[in-house]
Amino acid sequence: METIKIKKGLDIPLDGMPERHIVDARSIERYGVKPPDAVGFTPRLLVAEGDTVCAGQPLVEDKNDPRLFLPSPVTGTVESIVRGEKRKLLEVVVKKDLKDPKDLKDLKDLKDLKDLKDPKGLTPDSPCWWMIKERPFGTIANPDHKPKGIFVSMRDTNPLAPDVEFALKGREHEFDAGVKALEAYGKVHCVKAEGPHPAGNIGTIVAAISPINKGEYVWSVNAQDVANIGRWVTTGEYRPERVISVGGPAAKAPQYYRVLCGACMQRISDIQLMNPLYPSAESSLQHTTRIISGSVLSGNAIKADGFLGMYDQQVTFIEEGDQYDFMGWLMPGLKKYSFSYTFLSGLLRPFKALEPLMPIKPTYSFNTNMHGSVRPFLFTGSFERVFPFDIYPLQLIKACIVGDVELQEKLGIYEVEPEDFALCEFIDPSKTEIQTIIREALEVLRKEAIS
Amino acid sequence: MNMKWLEDWFEKIEPKGKWSWLGSTYEAFHTFAFTPKTVTKSGSHIRDAVDMKRSIIIVVIALMPALLFGMWNIGYQTAMSTGADWHWLYMWWFGFLRMLPLIVVSYAVGLFIEFAFAQYRHHEVNEGYLATGLLIPMIVPVTTPLWQLALAVAFAVIIGKEVFGGSGMNFLNPALVARAFLFFAYPTHMSGDKVWIAADLWGSDAIAGATPMGELAAGTNPSASALDMLIGTIPGSTCETSVIAIALGAILLLMTGIASWRIMLSVFLGGGLMGLLFNAIGYNDYMQLPFYYHFLMGGFAFGAVFMATDPVTAAQTNTGKWIYGLARLQPRLPRGHDAQHPLHELHGTAD
Repeated sequence: METIKIKKGLDIPLDGMPERHIVDARSIERYGVKPPDAVGFTPRLLVAEGDTVCAGQPLVEDKNDPRLFLPSPVTGTVESIVRGEKRKLLEVVVKKDLKDPKDLKDLKDLKDLKDLKDPKGLTPDSPCWWMIKERPFGTIANPDHKPKGIFVSMRDTNPLAPDVEFALKGREHEFDAGVKALEAYGKVHCVKAEGPHPAGNIGTIVAAISPINKGEYVWSVNAQDVANIGRWVTTGEYRPERVISVGGPAAKAPQYYRVLCGACMQRISDIQLMNPLYPSAESSLQHTTRIISGSVLSGNAIKADGFLGMYDQQVTFIEEGDQYDFMGWLMPGLKKYSFSYTFLSGLLRPFKALEPLMPIKPTYSFNTNMHGSVRPFLFTGSFERVFPFDIYPLQLIKACIVGDVELQEKLGIYEVEPEDFALCEFIDPSKTEIQTIIREALEVLRKEAIS
Repeated sequence: MNMKWLEDWFEKIEPKGKWSWLGSTYEAFHTFAFTPKTVTKSGSHIRDAVDMKRSIIIVVIALMPALLFGMWNIGYQTAMSTGADWHWLYMWWFGFLRMLPLIVVSYAVGLFIEFAFAQYRHHEVNEGYLATGLLIPMIVPVTTPLWQLALAVAFAVIIGKEVFGGSGMNFLNPALVARAFLFFAYPTHMSGDKVWIAADLWGSDAIAGATPMGELAAGTNPSASALDMLIGTIPGSTCETSVIAIALGAILLLMTGIASWRIMLSVFLGGGLMGLLFNAIGYNDYMQLPFYYHFLMGGFAFGAVFMATDPVTAAQTNTGKWIYGLARLQPRLPRGHDAQHPLHELHGTAD
């Protein structure tokens, strides 16, 4: 395992750290496959409502490259196909067939693996292929591309993210098998990053080890998916399992859950939103709580009965902040968190060097309030402190706003993904939607690259 | 504090239909009273508590020590010149009454134009002028006629900022544009030794009294000691004489991270280096001045702390900030009888 050390960044002190205790939730019945989670994937539906599907069977394929497909995570029947505006395919919902017995059998040790016959390789037509993402652009890996490295982050530094090594406990052999399978495509770097967020982001790791230039590609796989790939290549069984962390200021019982990809969150959110005083008051708090699949910094809001995002390994519960704040710009703000030290709360963390010595490390119950209105960029110099790339963040953002492709390339757009700008967006006093701006700029470049 | 009634009142008076063109003005007042209840949609679902209003208000608070001291100094200078025996509180009150019209005119004219432009363009009103509008009266001579100030403010806001698209798009510091406008349009009111000390409570009559820079320009050594200049009990622009009061503001700006320490430090480095270079040449009295005198005179400190650090018009990258600050080692040569180098006006501030 390689290590990198990052200094720039910020660990947001968010309330609701999950306990290190895994609840098995693999018996959840409904699963959703969400094509919009895969960047650049134009779905063509391969199944109809009522069809019987087995785990690993393609549900949708990419119109542009039919080799790429998204498989069903479980064996069962297609319950519904959800479409949004302009008939955009949002979700394919599969209901699990409870009779399938194999589901909960675990591989205990290496001997089990050796006993298995007919080990398969990892090929583009494996149901695990979608787990490999490609940079630049963050699409599913193109089998024609030769990556200059395959990166696996062994530490997720997002707020309240799961401890990757803890999540992989008991799956070490599967993980090793997965790494071996991936090595057929390029050198695999398993990197454990030290330092504050975004140290563990793939973008940070790649930038530190081998930055992407124009025309180069790197692949990345989530560590737990490496184990899933290992399971597939050794047993031929597709079971996309994930230990997710569930927490946040609005979660009642922050802890870990073992689920399959795309699991319906209904059962988990029922527990997390339940008011302990009035158990019968049916999730009455739902309308004021936002459930985010993924981290608070770059995840997507889902409904209480929504599905875990395809690439997500955490779910965060935070209160909606749709309240006014009287003279918010003038009040001392002891309970408000700011990176900038413009509120009194800054006195609780006098200097970065002294921070480890402080007796109390307050956490803050963030909500979804913007804490201000949108303005042009005025202040400079703070983005650089949370952005561990050799890139000028503000200049790149401005180049993306004006759509100057040449300038974007010069400033290193190919190295970044929207999530790399999440902290910039968080600390921005101008309240600009930076991740959206970066995503849109990348989409323009991606479409140009295809045509 | 339950402000529900005010929330309701604001929601009730929200301009709709034929009044919706007043949206910008409404937004300005509404967000002044309440941080809005807007929530995030995607991307980062949580946001830092800081916003533009908070950042700007920190600048305004940082200006307070210099402003309060400046008010006292206005009275003190008049008392010293007339030989009046005033209580220190009365000196402050005298200065307060001299400053108040300047501040009111600056805010009234500037904010009126800001609101008008925001309304016309259907933009939000940017809070940047809350700082600029206070900076302008703080760097002019106390006897500046109000109509000249009003013109300068209008010029600064329109030409220095709004023609480029408003706050964040300008490349000149509006406060310095105002000062430069005054200097070039009305030089007799802005320099010499008959503008720095108010003769009485009203009007623009002045008592003779030269600033240390003025004395140097006239070829004499400054009569004020370094300590006087450090404390700020010298004639000069209204609120930029006291290095100590400015330092208090600088501490706040640096602690909160609002201003760039790189710029501040490099401006002082640049100024110091130039002073040392002058010492080495030692051609005339000005060049023989101890290098640290440059930090104490001519509003150098004020310029370094509040002007050079203007985030919009300063360099944007960290390396650039060093260069930008060091580049301020412009020679501040007193040329001729009463004029300083025009660049001096634009870079640092003038006395």
